[in-house]
Amino acid sequence: MLTVFRHAVARSKGSILGWGLSLGLLGMWMASFYDSIASQAEQFEQLIEAYPKEIWAFFGGMIDFLSPEGFISVELYSYMPLVLGIFAVLAGSGLLVADEEKGFLDLLCAHPISRTGLFFGRFLSFVVTTVAILTLIWLGMMVGIQWSTYMNFGWGQMWLPNLSVLAFLLLFGALSLFLSMVLPSRRLAASVGGLLLVGSFFINGMAELNADVAKIADYLPMKYYQGGIAVNGLNLEWFAGLMIAAAVFTLLAWWRFERRDIRVGGEGGWGLPSLRFWRRRAAVSAE
Amino acid sequence: MSEELALMTEGLTKSYGRVRALRGVDLAVRRGGIFGFLGPNGAGKTTTIRCLLDLIRPDSGTLRVLGLNPQAEPVAVKARTGYLPGELQLDDNLTAERQLHYLNDLRGGKADWHFVRELADRLDLDLKRPIRNLSKGNKVKVGVVQALMHRPELLLLDEPTFGLDPLMQHEVLRLLVEAKRDGATVFFSSHIMSEVQAVAERVGIIRRGKIIELAETSVLINRSMRRARVRFREAVDADALTRVQGVSVLLRDDGMAMTLQVEGEMDGLIKALAQFPVVDFETERPSLEEIFLTYYEDERNSHKAME
Repeated sequence: MLTVFRHAVARSKGSILGWGLSLGLLGMWMASFYDSIASQAEQFEQLIEAYPKEIWAFFGGMIDFLSPEGFISVELYSYMPLVLGIFAVLAGSGLLVADEEKGFLDLLCAHPISRTGLFFGRFLSFVVTTVAILTLIWLGMMVGIQWSTYMNFGWGQMWLPNLSVLAFLLLFGALSLFLSMVLPSRRLAASVGGLLLVGSFFINGMAELNADVAKIADYLPMKYYQGGIAVNGLNLEWFAGLMIAAAVFTLLAWWRFERRDIRVGGEGGWGLPSLRFWRRRAAVSAE
Repeated sequence: MSEELALMTEGLTKSYGRVRALRGVDLAVRRGGIFGFLGPNGAGKTTTIRCLLDLIRPDSGTLRVLGLNPQAEPVAVKARTGYLPGELQLDDNLTAERQLHYLNDLRGGKADWHFVRELADRLDLDLKRPIRNLSKGNKVKVGVVQALMHRPELLLLDEPTFGLDPLMQHEVLRLLVEAKRDGATVFFSSHIMSEVQAVAERVGIIRRGKIIELAETSVLINRSMRRARVRFREAVDADALTRVQGVSVLLRDDGMAMTLQVEGEMDGLIKALAQFPVVDFETERPSLEEIFLTYYEDERNSHKAME
């Protein structure tokens, strides 16, 4: 499992640097210009009041944009689930199936490593990659905060919104991984995962405007994403809820991976799952 | 008995939706030999091999690999096995050497790196080149090296010479013979009958997911039809020869020369020939390829008859 993990993390270097550095630099730049916003608070207040509430809905409702936590919520953490969610969906759906579709998983699984070891080695690499990306974003933010007079978040305090993002990303990564285990292709799994991600984002935004939609939003993960407001204290129930849901999808994906065939092209194993999906491992006689 | 067998399957079935890939495969491969697994595309060769490694799960049947149940003890089976997939794919981002190191790490670093370099030299493989820059043939060489590098007890190779030039095909076959000499069991599928005939002591022929022949290669060749060419001093009446059971005329040259096909023993034909002035007589055994094709022609004919 350790070999699989090390190799998978090494392969993720590009993702870590690409996503982490770009969003980290964005966070640094954004945090560094907070002072100029705060110093012109009156003008900004007038501007904000002129904005329609429909726009604010997608930033998590009418929050105090001029406060440091409101500022980071709107400017960074409001769209973080969507942007990094795409990373999570692509990484989760391709965690095993990308190699399977290439045909490499066939050779890998013929080596003396259990499917459980392979699965969790890869999943752990996804967790570490996600944490590494969030760490770079956090570092970028903290560097930017050092240049700000009005934004005074501590190093540990600034991790709390990232924990909220982490739980959200793990959930979508695990969900996409599960989808890749039951759907016939990675592309379909990523499409369904992406649709759920974008749908969750928009329905949650609409929930601010419509009470009926708000009832639906209660069942969607976006509702339990705290964002930048978490600097004032992480909602542990929401965090735990997202993490438990991520764990459930991870275990379902593992359960399915343990029982399914490793597919290769031309073998006819790429169809939609039928009732066979529920079939237990074939009972091969122990004689 | 089962300890003597490297591989054993009984009643192995596997379906992909409505497609029945295996319809009760019964196979027994003794330890320490080279076994050639023959069949056309889609006959079930790859599916059988992948069931043996627990890459796919059979619908029913019994499986044993080196005395172990690959579903119950997959890691133990794979630790003692070297595998070359038919559709080999490698990690394009690595060099051949890094790829082999990674696969060796998955085996707990069991490979002797001097042996890896020796294999690479013999196959004329540059380990420093990135996989993405390798030709199909060179990728197959990486596949052969990774299958052999930990000196496994059992080699499961799905068309190991596919994509290689004739020189390298010959070298790979030599490696298989050497592996066998060192005590390994080699089970390989192939479309190239001459190579199976050259190295395999036993062959299995699979057709439509069922084993239709399982025999020593030499026995299979000996017991099948032979061709006899006879030249006479004068024209003879061929009817006297075709009346012999199992003899048919393939070619007749003005009654002075004939090519006959003989099924079974030669005794009847030789006695029938004794009454004629024979100038020359030579027999020829069919190649494994001809025998293989006979099985498929039989099937095609029976299908036509049913229609």
